[in-house]
Amino acid sequence: MIRVKGLCKEFNDFNGVFRALNNVSFEVRPGEIYGLLGPNGAGKTTCLRILSTVLKPTRGFAEVAGINVMHDAEGVRRNIGFMSCNTGIYDRMTAREMVEYFGRLYGIPEDKLQPRIDEIFDMLQMHEIRDRLGSKMSTGMKQKVSIARTIVHDPPVIIFDEPTSGLDVLVARNVLQAVMALKEQGKCIIFSTHIMREVEKLCDRIAVIHRGQILDEGTLPELADRHNQPDVEELFFDLIQRHDDNLEKSPAHV
Amino acid sequence: MNWKNVKLVFHREVRDQLRDRRTLFMITILPVLLYPMLGLGVVEMMLTFSEQKRTVVVLNADELPTTPAFLDETGIMETWFPGGHDDAARLQIITDLPKDEVSGQESTGRSKRQLSPEKLLENGRALAANFSELQGVTDTEDRQAGLREIQDRLSDSFGKSGIQVLVMVPDGYAESIARLQSQDGVTEAAAESSLPPLQVIRNSADDKSAVAFARVQSALTRWEGALRSHTFAKAALRSDLQYPARLEWVEVARGDEVAANIWSKLFPAMIVIMALTGAFYPAIDLGAGEKERGTMETLLISPARRIELVLGKFLTILMFSIGTALMNLLSMGFTGQHMASAMGANLPGAASLELPGMSSLIWLVILLIPLAALFSALCLALATFAKSTKEGQYYLTPLLMVIMGLTMFCLSPSIEITPLYSVIPVVNVALLLKGLLLSTAQNSQLIGYAVPVLISSIGYSILALWWAIDLYNSEGVLFREAEKFDLRLWLTNITRDKEPVPAAQEAGFCFVIILFLQFVAMKYMKPDLSGSDLEAGRQIMQTTVIQQLTMIACPAIFMGLLLTTSLRATFRLRMPSWSSMAMGVGLAFLAHPISIEVSSFMVDQGFLPPPPMEGLARINELLQSTELSPWLLLTVFAVTPAICEEIAFRGFILAGLARGNRLGMAVIVSSLMFGIIHMIPQQAFNAAMLGLILGLLAVHSRSLFPAIAFHLCNNAIATMHAKNGFGIKADGVFFSKDQGMLRYEMPLLILCGIGIAIMVARMIRDLRQEQEAKRLSRMESFDAPADLPAATAITTDNLTAST
Repeated sequence: MIRVKGLCKEFNDFNGVFRALNNVSFEVRPGEIYGLLGPNGAGKTTCLRILSTVLKPTRGFAEVAGINVMHDAEGVRRNIGFMSCNTGIYDRMTAREMVEYFGRLYGIPEDKLQPRIDEIFDMLQMHEIRDRLGSKMSTGMKQKVSIARTIVHDPPVIIFDEPTSGLDVLVARNVLQAVMALKEQGKCIIFSTHIMREVEKLCDRIAVIHRGQILDEGTLPELADRHNQPDVEELFFDLIQRHDDNLEKSPAHV
Repeated sequence: MNWKNVKLVFHREVRDQLRDRRTLFMITILPVLLYPMLGLGVVEMMLTFSEQKRTVVVLNADELPTTPAFLDETGIMETWFPGGHDDAARLQIITDLPKDEVSGQESTGRSKRQLSPEKLLENGRALAANFSELQGVTDTEDRQAGLREIQDRLSDSFGKSGIQVLVMVPDGYAESIARLQSQDGVTEAAAESSLPPLQVIRNSADDKSAVAFARVQSALTRWEGALRSHTFAKAALRSDLQYPARLEWVEVARGDEVAANIWSKLFPAMIVIMALTGAFYPAIDLGAGEKERGTMETLLISPARRIELVLGKFLTILMFSIGTALMNLLSMGFTGQHMASAMGANLPGAASLELPGMSSLIWLVILLIPLAALFSALCLALATFAKSTKEGQYYLTPLLMVIMGLTMFCLSPSIEITPLYSVIPVVNVALLLKGLLLSTAQNSQLIGYAVPVLISSIGYSILALWWAIDLYNSEGVLFREAEKFDLRLWLTNITRDKEPVPAAQEAGFCFVIILFLQFVAMKYMKPDLSGSDLEAGRQIMQTTVIQQLTMIACPAIFMGLLLTTSLRATFRLRMPSWSSMAMGVGLAFLAHPISIEVSSFMVDQGFLPPPPMEGLARINELLQSTELSPWLLLTVFAVTPAICEEIAFRGFILAGLARGNRLGMAVIVSSLMFGIIHMIPQQAFNAAMLGLILGLLAVHSRSLFPAIAFHLCNNAIATMHAKNGFGIKADGVFFSKDQGMLRYEMPLLILCGIGIAIMVARMIRDLRQEQEAKRLSRMESFDAPADLPAATAITTDNLTAST
């Protein structure tokens, strides 16, 4: 469902060329939650923005739902849902208007849109906030609207970019439950985070990403075995530490 | 493009804006309530201001002549005021006549802050004493300097005295006038000292004093007229001798024309400012606000294309811009009408301030649309560039200031629409509207300008919209983080991590340096052309060579050495093909007649100001002079600029601008820059046009030499054309002569045009093919690697698949 091979992304800024992604490769299958685990600035968001076609890669191959992100960006966007801690909602629109708006942008015919919205509002238990304006919503409510907006067109691939960042435990729990429910529906899910517990609880396979590179990937037991670490946290620190040490030793490092 | 998405975005944005109280306030509450309230308030304030009495003190009033009498028991006699009783009632006259003769007007309704008549008289006397003392001191010295000193010292005490105008009648005034009237005015001249002047002190910097002075002055002038008639009568002279010239001023303005004059100043300014203000706030909310709220990313991952998003937003802003302008104009119009009728007495002729006619109003709406479109697109682009609403305001405020400056320029009565102004953005619409509102008589003439005004305005709007769409496609703009500018890293980057060719910013910087140096050269390196032909020619040639080498070539070469790793790539130092070289030379010969004729056509039609004739005539004289060697002239005016200007413009600057692989844009921008540094409008126009061909040649051949060949030939032809017209004789079909200059006729121009079109089309076709091949090979690099197993085609049953 998602295939990435040798993906690179470079940014130019005042201070020169910055390589945000360096030769990243992975695959995610339907019905699977794939975790991207990495510290802030590791390149998680850049990678997911390339998959959702809002950024273009500098080099490499990326395919979502069988569509190459560089060849048919609109086709990719029709087949994905994207939600991050940054994707906001409109203050002066009600929950229903917002979901309707995006449903129409996705081209859902009117006769299918209304039942679909009812279905999602049932699933996320958000009927009581359907006519509330965005500015009057709590963070939890906003997050529900964001999820509803993400899945209104029933996409086969869903990308979550640190969806729980900055949320309290209760709201974060609701979000995670929604992600699990989507997995059960057979969606292909990619989930980036820097919170270890979420990875342990949610992800079928994980990749540890740092400084734009994937350090290792696999199921949790596989990784724990391979690196001889008792839990995901230790594993994470171990991988990152070893990578940084290697960088310092390498003569190419400047 | 899917218009359904544009409509969706438009509907959402409009609804969103209408739910925003701030927007509603700006477009409805402000004009509907605030202007009328403000207007009424201003009327009330102005009326009360002019109603208040101003204090005039007359000292030595009993020294005034009695025939004709200036004062009566109520103060200055009402007959001396043009406005009669109304004017007289606005002044409080204090005189030092015995108590029972003094005006009683001031005794009623005096507020606590007003001084008593006695105190005012006392102040007046003190001022007069002060004045005569100072005058006495300085009378013998330089009188002007003395008066200035008096003004300085007096204005202080005058301001504190509570008096607005002080009239000082000198001792023996009536007597001196009687003596003057009894003398024989033809033969005897009275000694000046025996005719002391009546002095009036006022402070024109103080509005109150100025208002009172105007009234006193008009009363004194009329009184003086009566006194003069009296004197003439006494001297047994006919009274009409006073006015031998018999001047008469005839006013033909009708009431509605006075109104038109006022509207023609108010409406164009209002429409420009309000169309911009109406676009300003929605644009910030729809551009920067979207980023700030985090909804930008949400919108970008929807299947709607960027162009659809931009158009939806643009149409929303356009609607609010037009709405705001119209609401404000309507409200202003009615408020203005009300104000005028309330102040009718003070504004003669405007008592019935009629709104402009229907045809003017229709023009107003027609012209408003492209103007609002330009502002909407510009505001959207700038607001998209900003990271936050606050930053958006920082970007848009300078735009507001520039537009206000242009509007002020248009308000000047001497500025009228001309062909040149009809293609300058904002100025064209404002001036055309001003003309249309001002006079109905010239409308047919003005409507001729509507075509260039509308076409150019729509053109600018499309450009601005294109820019906004372009920004929406730019990752750097949409996801601009607040990157910290680190001077050390930046310096390291530009000096150590250099690239083969410069960056666009570096190219821009190079242009700014060259432009600055050109200004310096224009100010401080003017050649002296007054000497002999040989001397003046030597001067101008020296200046040209120095300027070309140090101010155009050097900055580019120096920046190339400092900022790039490959001079070969930056300055396109590659051997060109023979065909490219031939094309360069051929194009120069074909382009010369067209550039000469098109630019003189533009000057004749008024689209370009004529070049400064004196300087040009002298230079032509020098070129034609036999004292200067033609080879030297060619070296200076053809070879040097061809090398120096090409190194800078088709070398460093074009390389920098073309780095993003946007060749068309790079060629256009570099040719505009090339035009700008030529300063004189006609030359700038020519240079910009030829710059397009030069840029195309350089990009197409990947070498600087064909461009140098073109530039060299073009300048050589131009020099020889000015020198002797190549000795070609006018045949009336291809060539003609005008004032000794060789001119080219239409058949020749058409042939040249066809030749240029063929070559340019060939170059563009080659470049397109090359670009397409590049794009395909780049897209292939994103294909699945060969070792990756084939993907299973998705059988998506999601909701959107059905559409």
